[in-house]
Amino acid sequence: MGDSTRKLKVAVISPTEVGFEGEGESVVVPAYDGLLGILYGHAPLMTLLGTGEVTVTDGETVHRIAVSGGFLQIVDNEVSVLARRVGECSSEGSGTKDAV
Amino acid sequence: MAKARDIGRRMRSVESTRKITRTMEMVATSKLRRAQLRVRQARPFAERVAAVVENLVTPELTDLEPLLRQPGRIRRAAVILVTSNRGLCGAFNVNLMRKARELLAELQASDVDAEFHVIGKKGISYFRFRNVAMASTRTDIGDDPSPDMARGLIDPLADRFVREELDAVYVVHAEFRSVMSTPPITRRLLPVYVPQERPTREPYYILDPSADEILARLLPLHLVSSMYRALVENVAAEQGARRTAMKSATDNADEFLTTLRRQFNRARQQEITSQLAEIIGGAEALKG
Repeated sequence: MGDSTRKLKVAVISPTEVGFEGEGESVVVPAYDGLLGILYGHAPLMTLLGTGEVTVTDGETVHRIAVSGGFLQIVDNEVSVLARRVGECSSEGSGTKDAV
Repeated sequence: MAKARDIGRRMRSVESTRKITRTMEMVATSKLRRAQLRVRQARPFAERVAAVVENLVTPELTDLEPLLRQPGRIRRAAVILVTSNRGLCGAFNVNLMRKARELLAELQASDVDAEFHVIGKKGISYFRFRNVAMASTRTDIGDDPSPDMARGLIDPLADRFVREELDAVYVVHAEFRSVMSTPPITRRLLPVYVPQERPTREPYYILDPSADEILARLLPLHLVSSMYRALVENVAAEQGARRTAMKSATDNADEFLTTLRRQFNRARQQEITSQLAEIIGGAEALKG
């Protein structure tokens, strides 16, 4: 299941910035009522965002993007995080899995 | 025939004007690049949010969510006109103001009480001169608009829409299609467009929380991002229009300089010829 065809397309954007755009095997998103983990094959979903970190894991690489407010849409294995604001995380923006 | 010295003076004047227009062209080009980046960022966001809103909105929800209110008859409307603070950008502002006047006339013709909000010095001075009443004016939105500025513009109007003091909000701004094409357009921000036909909501989304709760949070974001997009597009369009205007001014100066140079050389030649004729004439006279 680790082949690259089974990856999520992830975009984390705000009106002024692109926080992240790329692929990932799993994504953790701060939804309005708690963290939400997303893997390949997730059902189409729309939900509101809270404040926190979006974590995109792709193999050994982990990208973390701070978001606040907005909206999440999952359709056809495309994860769109439309945040009111995005920013760098105070901890390393991208690192290895061990660093999490 | 003009004296060579006079033509020379004109040439210097045209040359210095050309220097200014050329510089402005280059400044506009670099500002345009930054503005285009912002448009490229703001556009997909606004479009995606708008698409989601359109997908979620149903006629039944319009009674639940005050921002989705669909007034039966529009009695009071607000028109926001976005213009630039600076001139020297061709017909850019004139086109915008004409569009706004058309909209105002149209609203008045259908008996709508329209209030007029103007952004940008150019629009303000034009409508002040024409004695058009303006509900508010703003000049602090420069080359670098922020979503917070957009929020500051649209939030008070949205609040009044919710309180039923306003029935519609329109924005007139320039759309940035390309550097050469920046037509003025009118967008209706409120009431939010509700498709009458129920969209085939495919795929079937899991909605968490329910559609009306999502909309309650998403609609303000939708309004702000639409307004922000209008501001950003307007800045890019302004710089594009200025670059085009200044490019043609520079080209004209070049053309003018060629003509002047030709005249200058002819006048100089003529002066030399007549001076020679005088010298030769004088020498002949002395001989005799």
